[in-house]
Amino acid sequence: MAVREVLLYPAPILKQVCSVADPQAAETSALAQDLIDTMYASGHSVGIAAPQIGAALRVAVVDVSESKLGRKHNHGLVVMINPEIIERSGQKTMREGCMSVPDYTGNVERAKEIVVQFFDQQLNDCIIRCKGFEAVAIQHELDHLDGKLFLDRISNPGTELFRRKH
Amino acid sequence: MKHFAVTIIGRDRPGIVSDTARILYELGCNVADSSSTILGGQFAMILIVSHPDFESSEPLQQAYAELESSGLSVFVRTLKPGGEKRPDLPGELCMISVYGSDKPGIVYQVTRLLSQNNVNIVDLATKLIGTAERPVYVMMCEAVLPATLSVEDIRDMLENLREELQVDISVRNVTPVEL
Repeated sequence: MAVREVLLYPAPILKQVCSVADPQAAETSALAQDLIDTMYASGHSVGIAAPQIGAALRVAVVDVSESKLGRKHNHGLVVMINPEIIERSGQKTMREGCMSVPDYTGNVERAKEIVVQFFDQQLNDCIIRCKGFEAVAIQHELDHLDGKLFLDRISNPGTELFRRKH
Repeated sequence: MKHFAVTIIGRDRPGIVSDTARILYELGCNVADSSSTILGGQFAMILIVSHPDFESSEPLQQAYAELESSGLSVFVRTLKPGGEKRPDLPGELCMISVYGSDKPGIVYQVTRLLSQNNVNIVDLATKLIGTAERPVYVMMCEAVLPATLSVEDIRDMLENLREELQVDISVRNVTPVEL
C-alpha cells in the first residue's frame, strides 16, 4: 500500500523492544503490507522489520527467493506477526549489513537452522523450518523486534582465529 | 578540512590508546577511521584524523612529542584532498586463506598473482604459528575482485601456486548481505 521511509540509526525506535501486535487488527495487516512494499522497493533488501519504518510492533517480512544465496532454500515471501524462534541449531557466520546502518558491515554468527512460529497475514498459525541465508535473514529481522542491531552481535574472526592459550 | 594519517607503534602496554586519544581530544581533532592491533610485542595504530583549522601536520607532531619520549614512534602524513574517502569498490569480496610450512615468498607469490589480475587487497593479516621446529605460516587476505572475475576464477588461478608453494589455499565469498 505504501513504500515508507527506512529509518536510520540513531532513530530511538531502532533500540526499543517492540510490543506484541494484534494479528486481527486492520492496522497490523496494513503495516505488513507497507513492510512488503518497502522491502521490494529497496531492490536489494531481503527483509525488513516494523521498527525500521517507525512502528514498534512485532511484525517483520523476509523474502530471500530472488537472492543468489537464498534461491535453493526458501519459503518465498514470509510475513511474520509476533514471531518466535522456538528451535535453533548449528552455526553460520555471514557478513551482514543493514538498511538502517548504512556503509558498515560485520561478521555475525547465527544459528544455521531455526524453527520459527508466527501468525501470517491470513491469521494462520505457522511453523516453518528455515536454514542457510533465509534463517540468517529471519534472525536479523527478529533482532530488530528486540531493539538489537547486527552491531550488537559482531564477532571478529581475525582475533578469534589467532587467539592462543599460553 | 585537512585530513592526516597518524601511525603509532611501540612496545605494547596498557594506555597507548588512551594516551593517543587524549592528545587528539585535547587538540580538537576528529578521528574518522582507525585500526589498531598487536603485532608481535608491538602495538600498532593507524588513524585518519581531521582538524578544522590545521593546515599542516606540525601541531600534531608537536603534541605527539611527549608520546615519542615514552618510547613510541609516531608518524604523521598529510593527506591530499579526497584522500580520506574510501574508493567505491564494486565487485565480489572474497577471503583467501593460505597456510602451510613456512617458506620464503608466500606473501609475495600470492599477492603478485592477485595484483596481476587486478584484484584489490583490502585487508591482510599474516601470522607465524606452530612450533620453532615446525613453523606454519598463515595468511588471511580479503580482496575485492574485478567485475570480470568470479571466486571460482581466483580459486583456479591459485591452484598452480598451491602446488608450487606446497601450501593449502581456500577462497570463499564473503560479500556482505544487506538485510
